Amino acid sequence: MRHRSTRSLTVLALLATLLAPALAQAQQLTGEYKIGVLEPLTGPLAGEGKRHLEGYEIVRDMINERGGVMGKKLVFAVADAPDPTAAASEATRLITREGVRIITGTFSSRLCGAASEAAARHNVIYWETSCVDPRFTRRGLRTVFRTEIDATGFGWYNIEFIAKHLAPRFGKKPAELKIAFLSEDSSYGQGVTESARQRAKQEFGMQEVAVEYYSFTAINDFTPIIVKFKQLNPDVVHHIGYTNDAPLFWRQAREQNFLFKALVHAGATGYGSPDFGKALGADANGVFALLEPGPGFRIEALRPDGQKLEREFREAVRKRTGSYPLGGHQLAGGGLWILKLVLDRARSDELDKFRAAALSLDLPVGSLINGWGVKFADNGQNANERVQHYMLQWQDGVLVTVWPEEFTTYRAKWIPLGPWDARR
Amino acid sequence: MRIVNFAHGEFLMLGMYLAFWSFTLWGVDPYALLVASLPGFFLVGLLTYLVVMRGVVRASHNVQIFTTVGLSILLQNAALVLWTGDFRVLRPWHSSVVLRLGATAFNLSQVVAFGIAVALTLALFAFTKWTHTGRVMRATAQDREAATLMGIDTERVYRLTFAIGIACVGAAGVLVSPLYAAYPTAGLQFVLLAYVVVVLGGLGDMVGALVGSLIVALVEVVGSYFVGTAWKEVLYFLLFIAVLIFRPAGLFGQRGAELIGA
Repeated sequence: MRHRSTRSLTVLALLATLLAPALAQAQQLTGEYKIGVLEPLTGPLAGEGKRHLEGYEIVRDMINERGGVMGKKLVFAVADAPDPTAAASEATRLITREGVRIITGTFSSRLCGAASEAAARHNVIYWETSCVDPRFTRRGLRTVFRTEIDATGFGWYNIEFIAKHLAPRFGKKPAELKIAFLSEDSSYGQGVTESARQRAKQEFGMQEVAVEYYSFTAINDFTPIIVKFKQLNPDVVHHIGYTNDAPLFWRQAREQNFLFKALVHAGATGYGSPDFGKALGADANGVFALLEPGPGFRIEALRPDGQKLEREFREAVRKRTGSYPLGGHQLAGGGLWILKLVLDRARSDELDKFRAAALSLDLPVGSLINGWGVKFADNGQNANERVQHYMLQWQDGVLVTVWPEEFTTYRAKWIPLGPWDARR
Repeated sequence: MRIVNFAHGEFLMLGMYLAFWSFTLWGVDPYALLVASLPGFFLVGLLTYLVVMRGVVRASHNVQIFTTVGLSILLQNAALVLWTGDFRVLRPWHSSVVLRLGATAFNLSQVVAFGIAVALTLALFAFTKWTHTGRVMRATAQDREAATLMGIDTERVYRLTFAIGIACVGAAGVLVSPLYAAYPTAGLQFVLLAYVVVVLGGLGDMVGALVGSLIVALVEVVGSYFVGTAWKEVLYFLLFIAVLIFRPAGLFGQRGAELIGA
């Protein structure tokens, strides 16, 4: 009798042990925690904004399957921000009508400044995951945080790649390189271009032959710029563009038979957008874009916890979209996961506690989605060196990871680019 | 008609999408589609007139502006819902053919688009100048009341004029589709420029619009090359302001025409 009761108790204890986490999780997710998500879902940036939102939704579901945030189910109040005015007014609406204490977004550098100013006026936390305007974290606002690199980081990486990877393969010293800068004129383009110009000139003594800015909403012909560039004969064209202007430049450069040794871009839009490959197919061959990792990425180069997370993220993206994670997914998803870590650590969205938790988070490169790490500075900017970035190249319709070489199985091709018809 | 249609760019966008889907789904070349797109967009124009424009033709300019801006937003967002915000590019064989003339290079699609646009403009010019219907249209544009007194059915003229306008812009959308990506706000890229061209040439003057377009293109290209791309809009808007100050009717417009029928 005694023996039987002992056995029953053991079985009960075993069952309780097995079911405890599931029961605890079910209990934890009874409440909801709402954050605002602000993205350009209409207007010229709608394509990228929707992809970004998809990234958020994928990782939100991953988070909720793993216990939510602060023990609650994470839910979104989504708002559309096609332009800076709408970004500011929708941020205010999310705060005053939806009652959110944290807003995340906003894909574009055109939008993040206005939206975060509106949030700061209400002392609401603004968690930016992709705009790169350097001014975003330089306004003395205690409420802003950015998980993505800033434009100075983009510029830094691009020049690093040009000076240390491209120049030797051209058989030139960095100081012998002639570089032409072309960029759309929003704070994204200006931020990346100006930081790249500064490093190219001051650190490597590269020869800047041209700097041209244009409005991406109005440009419909690059011929005058291309004719001018042809005469200046640059080795490298550093072009920061959006999704409508990048294919136009590339197509017209081909028509005008403008030959240069490499074109380097940075960001998930323009040459970094899947639309560029769709538009040009194999004609896109050879273009470089600084991004989050693409095909060829060696997950085993990450830390063990980072490998697990990255695999789960990729699987979730594949299930939802049937494809490899795209730049928009990676920026939004990677950033949202870090927000979860901070909220779980702070157990509160009260600004001081949240800030303390964010600033104390210290994870090395290779720990998180995209192989990122985290170390926020006092101004809310994640350290550029922790936001590991990768150079990708269009190769036969696929944007593959080519640099740093230790992170990838692919190698950069067509260096220098050579004649247009020979890039096959 | 004396109506500035702010949704004109959106009909261009619809033309671009029509070309994209016809090419992608059925392999129809944009130039073959052009033949069908003209009557197709003519019908779209008729329908738009009957449903939207008829009620505001005699209303104040403010009402007309709000109506056409509203129509523009409706069409942009309908495109966004139906076809997403992705950039759609079609690549028929002629879009990658380059014609070289000395040191200059032209894309074949660009040359064909230019040729057909000039031909359409001249045809429209001949139609309004030498046909009875064309004369009726011009008479109605010059003075709506007088035309009515002469027994002209102005309602019918407006309907026809609006439909012809939409047929032309729809055809333009098909023509530029091999050159530019189709996306819901693609029309915005062209509509302001088109407005500058029309005012510069003279409102209602077909040859003026043709010459105006060449002048704006010249200012854009020469300005971009010698001064810088960032300055190109500054330059053509300076020209636009100068024309408005010194020749309010445009370069070829009849003096006072901008006021008649207002």
